[in-house]
Amino acid sequence: MNMNRKDFLRKIQELEFAVIELNLFLDTHPSHQQALADYNRLTQELMNAKIMYERQYGPLTNFGYAPSQYPWQWALTPWPWEDDYECKEDMACGYMKKS
Amino acid sequence: MWIYEKKLEYPVKVSSCNPTLASLIIEQFGGADGELAAALRYLTQVWTMPIPQAKAILTDIGTEELVP
Repeated sequence: MNMNRKDFLRKIQELEFAVIELNLFLDTHPSHQQALADYNRLTQELMNAKIMYERQYGPLTNFGYAPSQYPWQWALTPWPWEDDYECKEDMACGYMKKS
Repeated sequence: MWIYEKKLEYPVKVSSCNPTLASLIIEQFGGADGELAAALRYLTQVWTMPIPQAKAILTDIGTEELVP
């Protein structure tokens, strides 16, 4: 898969939005089998997407949840509130930019 | 413990400068009955909840509302 960064992130946001809503529903309906099946299916899809995204563009979470390439990407990749949340030339966003 | 995710839950695109709207949003987020206050209330009230469903939903809604 070779989606650009923003499309890839959008896909992750869509999956995570669905997973969050199912999670909240399941909190008060723990025995709802259909919701649980949907939750597990989308969670698997989300986990795979995050691993692939982080490999290409750097970690989405820190504190031991994802490894980093050199240099320490957590500090050097864009933050959500920065203009357009784009990956600039001087940022360590992964292998994609260099090749 | 909370983990920060370096992305938004929902995409946001600010296309123009609008101080009136900005003041409404900052009140909604950090004001007296804003998201921040609600998140902290949920995460504190959860300690007195008697049933598992209530403990789960308050923890998760509090978490979701905490981060803009």
